[in-house]
Amino acid sequence: MFSKILIANRGEIALRIIRACRELGIRTVAVYSEADRDSLHVRFADEAICIGQAASSSSYLNIPAIISAAEITDVEAIHPGYGFLAENPHFAEICESCKITFIGPTPENIRLMGDKMAARATMQKAGLPIVPGSTSIVKNKEEVIKTARRIGYPVIIKATAGGGGKGMRICHNDIRLISSLMTAQAEAEASFGSPNVYIEKYIEKTRHIEIQILADKYGHIFHFGERDCSIQRRHQKLLEESPSPAVDGKLRKRLGELAIKGAKTVNYINAGTIEFLMDQKRNFYFMEMNTRIQVEHPVTEMVTGIDLVKQQIRVAAGEKLNFQQDGIQIKGASIECRINAEDFENNFLPCPGKIETLNLPGGPGVRLDTHIYAGYEISPFYDSLLAKVITHGNNRQEAIRIMQRALSEFTIAPIKTTIPFHQRLLENTLFLKGDISTHFVQDMFKEETGAEE
Amino acid sequence: MNIKEIKEMINLMNDNGLVELEIEKDGMRIRLRKMAAGMELQSGPVVIEKEIVESKSREVSESMGKPAVKTVEIKAPMVGTFYRAPSPEAPPYVEVGQIVEAGQVICIIEAMKLMNEIKSEIKGKVLEILVDNAEPVEFGQPMLLIEPL
Repeated sequence: MFSKILIANRGEIALRIIRACRELGIRTVAVYSEADRDSLHVRFADEAICIGQAASSSSYLNIPAIISAAEITDVEAIHPGYGFLAENPHFAEICESCKITFIGPTPENIRLMGDKMAARATMQKAGLPIVPGSTSIVKNKEEVIKTARRIGYPVIIKATAGGGGKGMRICHNDIRLISSLMTAQAEAEASFGSPNVYIEKYIEKTRHIEIQILADKYGHIFHFGERDCSIQRRHQKLLEESPSPAVDGKLRKRLGELAIKGAKTVNYINAGTIEFLMDQKRNFYFMEMNTRIQVEHPVTEMVTGIDLVKQQIRVAAGEKLNFQQDGIQIKGASIECRINAEDFENNFLPCPGKIETLNLPGGPGVRLDTHIYAGYEISPFYDSLLAKVITHGNNRQEAIRIMQRALSEFTIAPIKTTIPFHQRLLENTLFLKGDISTHFVQDMFKEETGAEE
Repeated sequence: MNIKEIKEMINLMNDNGLVELEIEKDGMRIRLRKMAAGMELQSGPVVIEKEIVESKSREVSESMGKPAVKTVEIKAPMVGTFYRAPSPEAPPYVEVGQIVEAGQVICIIEAMKLMNEIKSEIKGKVLEILVDNAEPVEFGQPMLLIEPL
């Protein structure tokens, strides 16, 4: 087992990793930018190194600074968290060459799954159904029109180096497809450094169902059930739950087996998530694989009782996973609400500022993953995630009831947050019925304001 | 410093017939001064000055017997290991008291096996070197104090 780990991240996930390390008896090193000097992850780590100025490029994305910090503190491993360098194969390789263990999959895993088209092709060969789409990157107008006609409109343009919902464009006809192509390519270049795009059939009213997997270095792979992440706005997840109201035991088994098969095909190591799209007829299609621990990992931890971050560290340290797939049970139901510093009545405008008053939710069935504290200054340099409120109940209704109660206790003033948005969401009849799709938030706003949001 | 250490210092003074004793440790400086010969030290004022090394620019205090001096900190522009000389056998780039020119190399920070020469941005006199040779430095950590000329 490692004796010291560096956490190459910030905010709530850095705290999450520090907690797992503490429980495993591992010393922690935090890295921070000048803007994060007063952060909790800096205070709670055993050692902390300032690595650069506020901008992510100078700090949390600054590979030489992070590796240098790892060297001077003599750590054995680096946990990259999510975002930042977590899915950067170059960073994973540099760690390897510096004899520092990267707590995550191999650089090859990251590289392959990071290329969305290559991932599609690989999973298709492994026997997973994929969304009908182009078989190669879009080269010209004529070819893309032909492909679109073959798979049938509507289609969606996606960046092959992309993710996080960026650079995606939905097109219902040839004209829209051509006009969107150039802007999509430009956006892809700006966001991901590559203008390569491909198209997929756009399936309306889908659910986003993802399967959590974990693999050790000895070829043992397990799945931990599904998460339903259909509640999204502009392809950013807002609320996640496990189990999915649309998935029964039989379907879970099937999806789990396919996810494991896919992971085995690429000799995957450590934690990962296979994302599927599911239509109203319960047809499902492989969409992409995320080669990192995800923001919403807590809902899986609540229903399975397994600490995924600790398992990540164990796997990276060379330990064998000791599970029996049949022994991994989904007990009860769990929901997570991502609370962001955003004004949801004003197009979710980010609202940085200082937290003057804070009252944290608690009580039975409530878990809070957060880095905020009274007096904390929310800076404009990073994402607006303030806290994740996670509840666990014996069934979905109870988990919802507990979440409603917890959110009513949660006070963050005078910051505008998305707590009222979640409260509205949790009262919505369709949501309560479990009748949701990736269109849900959009439709909810249309319904309530009568306007396109 | 705790009261036990201070008492030890007082005993040290008495045992050796000292009138004044000044000790610096862990960024704190304590000076003990006997007010008048023959008086018990406990009745004299004890002057404690706490110095915070990370201050932006500070005036060197009067009790040191020198006039106030403006200082500029040279801060580490990267994370790494601080070296005073280009190699273990070579002489250090600068010493305390030395005058440096703007653009002159004052130290090396080693990061990921690469030696980065760090240059002074100003002309001045080196007052203090705050980091020991081969010690780690973080981004923004003050390494040298220079009196601008």
